[in-house]
Amino acid sequence: MRTGPDAFALLDIAAATLRRDVLPHLPPDGRYTALMVANALAIAERELRGLDESGRAMLLALAPLYGEDADAALCGEELATRVDALQHRLCIEIATGAFDGDGQDTLMESLEAIVRARLAIANPKAAG
Amino acid sequence: MPDANPSVPQADTLLTDDDRSRLEGWLAAQAGASRVAVTADGALGGAANHAITLDVADGPQAGRHACVLRAELAGRVSASIGKRREFAALSAAFQAGVTAPEPLFVCDDPAILGPDFFIMRRVDGLGAGFAVVKGDAPQADLARALGRQLGRLHRLTPATSGLETLAPPPDCPAQEAVHQFRDWIGDVAQRDPVLAWGLRWLHVNAPLPGAIVLCHRDFRTGNYLVKDGALAAILDWEFAGFSDPMEDLGCFCARSWRFRRINREAGGIADRADFYAGYEETAGRKVDPQRVAYWETAAYLRWAAIALQHGRRHSSGAEPSLELALTGRMLPEIEMDLLRHLKSAAARAVTPVERIG
Repeated sequence: MRTGPDAFALLDIAAATLRRDVLPHLPPDGRYTALMVANALAIAERELRGLDESGRAMLLALAPLYGEDADAALCGEELATRVDALQHRLCIEIATGAFDGDGQDTLMESLEAIVRARLAIANPKAAG
Repeated sequence: MPDANPSVPQADTLLTDDDRSRLEGWLAAQAGASRVAVTADGALGGAANHAITLDVADGPQAGRHACVLRAELAGRVSASIGKRREFAALSAAFQAGVTAPEPLFVCDDPAILGPDFFIMRRVDGLGAGFAVVKGDAPQADLARALGRQLGRLHRLTPATSGLETLAPPPDCPAQEAVHQFRDWIGDVAQRDPVLAWGLRWLHVNAPLPGAIVLCHRDFRTGNYLVKDGALAAILDWEFAGFSDPMEDLGCFCARSWRFRRINREAGGIADRADFYAGYEETAGRKVDPQRVAYWETAAYLRWAAIALQHGRRHSSGAEPSLELALTGRMLPEIEMDLLRHLKSAAARAVTPVERIG
């Protein structure tokens, strides 16, 4: 169906070429721009590879708040829909004061796990 | 990694030859001179900042002046107050003795350059956050100087003359801030529980109104210049407005603006104690650490809202830009800083106030 090399391989070699063959020859302004391009390529690659894994980590963080088990078999569109639905529900509960008194520690743990899952794609270094 | 306020020279598209001659004619009238020559020295860091040199032939301002022309941007973020008000805030601060570039001329006549703009004296110095925080030793003197300057600024109030054009002071700065952030963040707060929690926390813990003063509202490392280790100028007055004085202190100490010097809590340069001590020397009030912790939370929500707006400017097609797109992608980082702050002892000490009536 698809002509190789695949999207991952193309992103890999594009980023490596940018760093190895282009960056060293650029003046400082161009260097800053090229580093932004490299950063964008790296985020795109992590998202292609890791979106489901990140979604499952978010599901794992959210499900216990509702006494549910995270369904580890979910993937793709179904997983994204499930995570979005749980996040929306949590947003409504937060906004209506469900965590104003008790449950803040549990909430904070879940929120941190959610952000870590998103940082794994956007900027893994900031998750440390 | 994108800096929020990168010093990247950009193509200088503002001043065509026609622009320059209109600008020269306008400046001559403003300066009471028979002739002013403008030389464009190139674009500076930050959007729509242009280095120019004015040669004023005669009159009270005769001579050569190295200046910066700051023009209004088409796609400015909601928090920005516009160039005329920015000029008013900068002028009041400068007259009060705050170390800032001297404001010279302001123009809201679209026939001159199109957008509103103002001209201020150019100040030399290092501005980029990572460069300012570099060095093994903390910069206690710099932090103290910044505290003193902020204290001096905070002596200006809604009663200070020249500030009439600013938005009127809010009844309750904290609740006003929550309203604004809700508005800017929009329906993302229904999808992103971290932002939802940040907004709720700000609402529940909002302190009662106290002193209301002129705040810079973007007072942080990256927005001031340093020369030979000393403060040279406080920049970027485009968000200035009346608020709780502790807002500026919270912003200055937020993790987002420590540039990886995470243990130097005052702007990545020194301890809070140095910065607070300088502030108390000139402000005529004590630092209230609980209020500072409240406003530090607000600083993360504000920065998150601005990052979202930057991302939207790209995604909507209004202003396609890799830099804006990547700023939008910084949201989880800002949220992680917010959560780290909320877990800190300082934030945990913030409690809802007893409200009367």
